Amino acid sequence: MNALGAGLAMLTALGAGFGMCLATAKAVEAVARQPEASGKINSILLLGCALAESTAIYAFVVALVLAVK
Amino acid sequence: MTQIILLCISAVSLCFGFIGLAFAKSSKTANGDDKKAKKRKRLSIALTLFGGWLLIGTLVSMFSAKKAGLKIEFALFSDRISIFGFSIAKTVVISFCITGTVLILGTVFRLFVFPKFSPDDPKGFQNVIEIAVEAMENFAKNSLLDYSGQLAPYMFTLAVYMIFSAFTELFGLRAPTSDLTSTFAMGLITFFLINYYGIKKKGVAGRIKGMAKPTPLVFPMKILSDVAVPVSLACRLFGNMLGGMIVMDLLKSVLGGYAVGIPPVAGLYFNLFHPAIQTYIFIILSMTFINEAIE
Repeated sequence: MNALGAGLAMLTALGAGFGMCLATAKAVEAVARQPEASGKINSILLLGCALAESTAIYAFVVALVLAVK
Repeated sequence: MTQIILLCISAVSLCFGFIGLAFAKSSKTANGDDKKAKKRKRLSIALTLFGGWLLIGTLVSMFSAKKAGLKIEFALFSDRISIFGFSIAKTVVISFCITGTVLILGTVFRLFVFPKFSPDDPKGFQNVIEIAVEAMENFAKNSLLDYSGQLAPYMFTLAVYMIFSAFTELFGLRAPTSDLTSTFAMGLITFFLINYYGIKKKGVAGRIKGMAKPTPLVFPMKILSDVAVPVSLACRLFGNMLGGMIVMDLLKSVLGGYAVGIPPVAGLYFNLFHPAIQTYIFIILSMTFINEAIE
């Protein structure tokens, strides 16, 4: 049962992956439009990806707490 | 039985590889088909590597009790050992070791290496240090405004500590950053800094007023999101580091005795590149939160 819960918790990764894909797609568009601003866009993208990834990380921690006995 | 077959395969591929290498060396003077020779040389190098890997792996798995297979065991919190009657987590001991190493290195550099640096023509190691320090200072100047002089050294210290703790994983120890206590301590320091500099810049009344910025209705939300900052910072770092460690453990346990050349290559990503990215993110996020408080 615990393993099942852990697996369900990891479904959150779907959302994180989708969010990161949206951010990256927009960043690629922005760089294509303005290549000279790529440095700034890069740092903002990294920050946004980290924030989007954090939901997946929380899910991962919850899954670990459930799975490790 | 299978091991004998594997040994035969590795021996054959080693033989072919060595023969190919010898051919490539002897035919170097007579330049015939250049592209074909290059291809043959690459193939023989690959064959030699594969044969060597198979041979060593089979020999190791023959004589060691470690069997390949999906048998992973890890703990959310690290094991404890007792020193002088105190029960201390192993990661704490490792982090003390890291702190000691950094202190000794810093003292040695300050006393013996830095006086030899010349301000006019930097070369070698001085360049590396200067690039790192300058990058950090520019970084801090953008987001920390007037306080960059005070906070940039702390951020650099944090980066050094986290990079060093990533190195310990290469020695097979558990990194302090993959323990929740250590990352939570760092998150709490960031929380303290946010409030300290926010109050220093605007005063207590200004800080409280800044929390009710658009309407007073958002006040509880802002308090909640402020309290969530250290938790989210700590959990992010902890989850990422633990994830990398678990992936490496899985790889090692799956390969068993054959874990000869592959884990170090994967470790380049999971133990060096990944922690570096996480260090960058931790520092950037801390700076962004402090910037939000003092702006």
